[in-house]
Amino acid sequence: MMDQPIRVLLAKIGLDTHTIGITVLAKELRDRGFEVIFSGLKQTPEKVANAALQEDVDVIGVSCLSGGHMTHLKVLAEKMREMGLDDRILIVGGVVPEEDVEPLKALGVDQVFTMGANIDDIARYLHGAVSA
Amino acid sequence: MGRSRNVEALESGGETLWRAQYYEPAIADSGERKTRFQTQSLRWDIKPLYTQADLDAIGFDPEKDLGLPGTYPYTRETRAAGYRGDLWAMTQVSGFGCAEDSAKRWAYMVEQGLDSIIVEYDLPTTNGYDSDNPLCRGEVGRAGMALDTLQDMEDALDFPLEKLKNLTSVCNAPQPVNLAMLIKALQRKGKNLDEIRLMMPNTILVEYTCVGRYIYPPKHGLRLACDVIEYCMQHHKNWMPLNIVGAQIYAARGNPVQEIAYSFAMARAYIDELLSRGHDINEVAPMVSFITGIDMDFFEAIGKLRAYRKVWARLMKEAYGASAEEALKLRLMSSPGTMSMALQQPLNNIARLGIEMLACAIGGGAHTINTPLYDEAHALPSEDAITIGANIHHIVAQETGVADTIDPLAGSYYVEYMTKRIEDAVFAELEKIEAMGGALGALEAGYFQSELAEEQIAMNRDFHSGERKFVGVNYLVKKDEQREIEIFRHDEAAEARQIERLNRIKGQRDNAAVERVLEKVREAARGTTNMVEPMLEAVALYATHGELCDAMRDVFGEYDPNALTPML
Repeated sequence: MMDQPIRVLLAKIGLDTHTIGITVLAKELRDRGFEVIFSGLKQTPEKVANAALQEDVDVIGVSCLSGGHMTHLKVLAEKMREMGLDDRILIVGGVVPEEDVEPLKALGVDQVFTMGANIDDIARYLHGAVSA
Repeated sequence: MGRSRNVEALESGGETLWRAQYYEPAIADSGERKTRFQTQSLRWDIKPLYTQADLDAIGFDPEKDLGLPGTYPYTRETRAAGYRGDLWAMTQVSGFGCAEDSAKRWAYMVEQGLDSIIVEYDLPTTNGYDSDNPLCRGEVGRAGMALDTLQDMEDALDFPLEKLKNLTSVCNAPQPVNLAMLIKALQRKGKNLDEIRLMMPNTILVEYTCVGRYIYPPKHGLRLACDVIEYCMQHHKNWMPLNIVGAQIYAARGNPVQEIAYSFAMARAYIDELLSRGHDINEVAPMVSFITGIDMDFFEAIGKLRAYRKVWARLMKEAYGASAEEALKLRLMSSPGTMSMALQQPLNNIARLGIEMLACAIGGGAHTINTPLYDEAHALPSEDAITIGANIHHIVAQETGVADTIDPLAGSYYVEYMTKRIEDAVFAELEKIEAMGGALGALEAGYFQSELAEEQIAMNRDFHSGERKFVGVNYLVKKDEQREIEIFRHDEAAEARQIERLNRIKGQRDNAAVERVLEKVREAARGTTNMVEPMLEAVALYATHGELCDAMRDVFGEYDPNALTPML
């Protein structure tokens, strides 16, 4: 498993177009040997789940800074379950208040990374989670 | 009081002599505390000492480079009285929920001593959709105020407007619709439009570059923006219908040179379009203004503010032959940087805001200063954060004395060096952009976007390596930190309330008349007439914001949704 590069779909859902976090993360993960696919901006949860299936990714990373994360992740997690993708690692980054972290995990999100998250920590987490 | 011969000898011998005799021995034992001293965003090396020799080396001439406050090239201040006459207008960004939620909040802000408001709309509005559009699930009234019809705008303006020095309305892609709603709502409320100073960023080229709230292809976006400017030039000369938000370029990690150069290249695109419509540069230039973001590097900030006004004056004079004073004087709102507001230990942000606000006040030139708030990285502002944000303005203005004399740091070797170097670098960057076909060419080639992405990655690495320290984030980190502040919570019921309002209005209006006026809007879009006139008629009939944006979509089409991310 560790010889195959980990495939990551980075996604933006809804009308939020803050792109700095996702741009930096894509570059840094690629430099660390990950294969990174970008969903494009202004996607629906349905499209993101479809792309994850088609690209057969190991990880879906959703970036959300508008505050709409609970709405979007609820739909995305449902779609992933319907499509049999609930074994994939689902991570969320952006502006997420502490009190939303547990409810997100209850929806099926594996981990939440917010402002100031260290990219080495994210990479280490993904290696651990995907090989587990 | 002549200077000692020793100092003169050291200066004429250059810094080398001083270094050898004084500096090197002083650091001989323990060395310097950093391996590299660099400015924060530009990453320019910082010397231990600046002298006249540094200014001579870059051709600084006080006669030509400085002038006096109120005189060309305005390096020392555009307004002759600085802040000794009027202080800056004190503002914050605000808007959430439905119209009456926002109006109530704005009344509170005025009570806290703010005399200007920047209205932010939600993402459905700024992307040109009505609140009932399926694409907008979860976003209605969340990141700003929901706006669907003229009724919303009328209800939103139900607060003590007369206490404001200016009102800014941020709705860039659909700006003609927004302007029409503002005008009609103000008229219906019986306001004298000449007594209100309306500002509209109308900064669509920044949206394509780094924000993303655009709808139509850039040439149509530019046309709509220029229609708004032209309409105001003809009917509301005291309004400010173009505020190019360099603060967003800064927030996308643009350094001061990129921020000024990209903003001015964009200004040239609007100006050139208006000149091609037969207007005079001396009429057009005073319609253009800027909003800048001020970060934590104090001297980069001061140099940036001073270079901003000087480059503008030179550009208007040298590239356009502008002669009217009002055409040469930069209009600026400055804003401490949202990017320096940490999530961790958020009360530390109050100190950061104080320092950045001080730089804004000392650097001068701004008619208005905006503050982000200490809870910026957590949520929309809480009432506590708003009050403290308002007080920071008054503390800097009333307690420090920095606003009591004009351009107090002029003549500082380092400040003048920084100002001139930024100026020179901006002109070089502007030339590069011109060679790409100006701002539109650079934008469509992805130049702005990829240059900013480089900065984003580099800055992230500076934080990651600890080269750049951020207290509480990568330095003096508090273990197992728990949030210690109360934060604003979004009202999840707002979306349903707003959709009900929208349906109510749609049920009461003359739908046949709305259909006719939407066709009129399409007709105007196909031609070259100013789009504001048909919008005024349409909003009065309660055509919705989304319907009007759709009518223009029918003619202009939509632009590549991934314009911001050519490198992804």
